[in-house]
Amino acid sequence: MTEDRKKNNQSANDQDMMKLVDNLNRKEDVNLNRRAFLKASFGTTVALGLATTPFGVISAVRSEKEDSNQVEIASVDELAIGEAKNFNYPTEDEPAVLVRTPDDRYVAYNNKCTHLQCPVFYEKKDNVLLCPCHKGYFDVNNGHPVAGPPQRELPKILLEVKDGKVLAVGREYRHG
Amino acid sequence: MDKKRVSFLSIFVFLAINVISLSKVIEGFYGKEYGHVYSFMIVALISTGLATIAFFTWRKQEYKS
Ligand code: FES
Repeated sequence: MTEDRKKNNQSANDQDMMKLVDNLNRKEDVNLNRRAFLKASFGTTVALGLATTPFGVISAVRSEKEDSNQVEIASVDELAIGEAKNFNYPTEDEPAVLVRTPDDRYVAYNNKCTHLQCPVFYEKKDNVLLCPCHKGYFDVNNGHPVAGPPQRELPKILLEVKDGKVLAVGREYRHG
Repeated sequence: MDKKRVSFLSIFVFLAINVISLSKVIEGFYGKEYGHVYSFMIVALISTGLATIAFFTWRKQEYKS
């Protein structure tokens, strides 16, 4: 009895499946899906391409602002060789340090440590920039990390010496 | 390969180019390397333009009959 029922069920199932197959126009279906897929891909391509423009526009606005920003940070005879001075550049809440190096050049960097943002100091004795938080050392000449946890260089402030004054004229995030 | 097939496949190439460019643009933006932002933005816009041409070429062929 149960056997019989099973058989019946089975054949009914097969009938249903056949009907489904009848319904299916395979060629057209595949075609339609392929078209829709390409259209979606094209839409994504355009969306991603256009998504780059706001970044470009904001970058342009920002770098324009930074370019026109000249600030006097010290007079030439204010620092003796091997001395350093703190200042803020390009805005009031971005601290930086100006160093007159032993070979009598001026260099300046934003002095927020690139590890965890502690302030970095100039160490005259060893002629390095030192971050006391985790003993991070930076080269005075180029701002690149030489020891300790920091991995990235300090942002470099571009300087100009004019009429006995040291001016900050710009900033480079990635440099040599 | 015929025109239709080429334009069909090229759209995926442009899609890949745009994915990569967008990620480079964002990387440059947050790394404050504005030079990278501009160059990859231009790459992305050019590839978007080419993708548009490819798409309309494909569409013309696809719905011709
Ligand atoms: S914050 Fe400067 S070394 Fe960790």
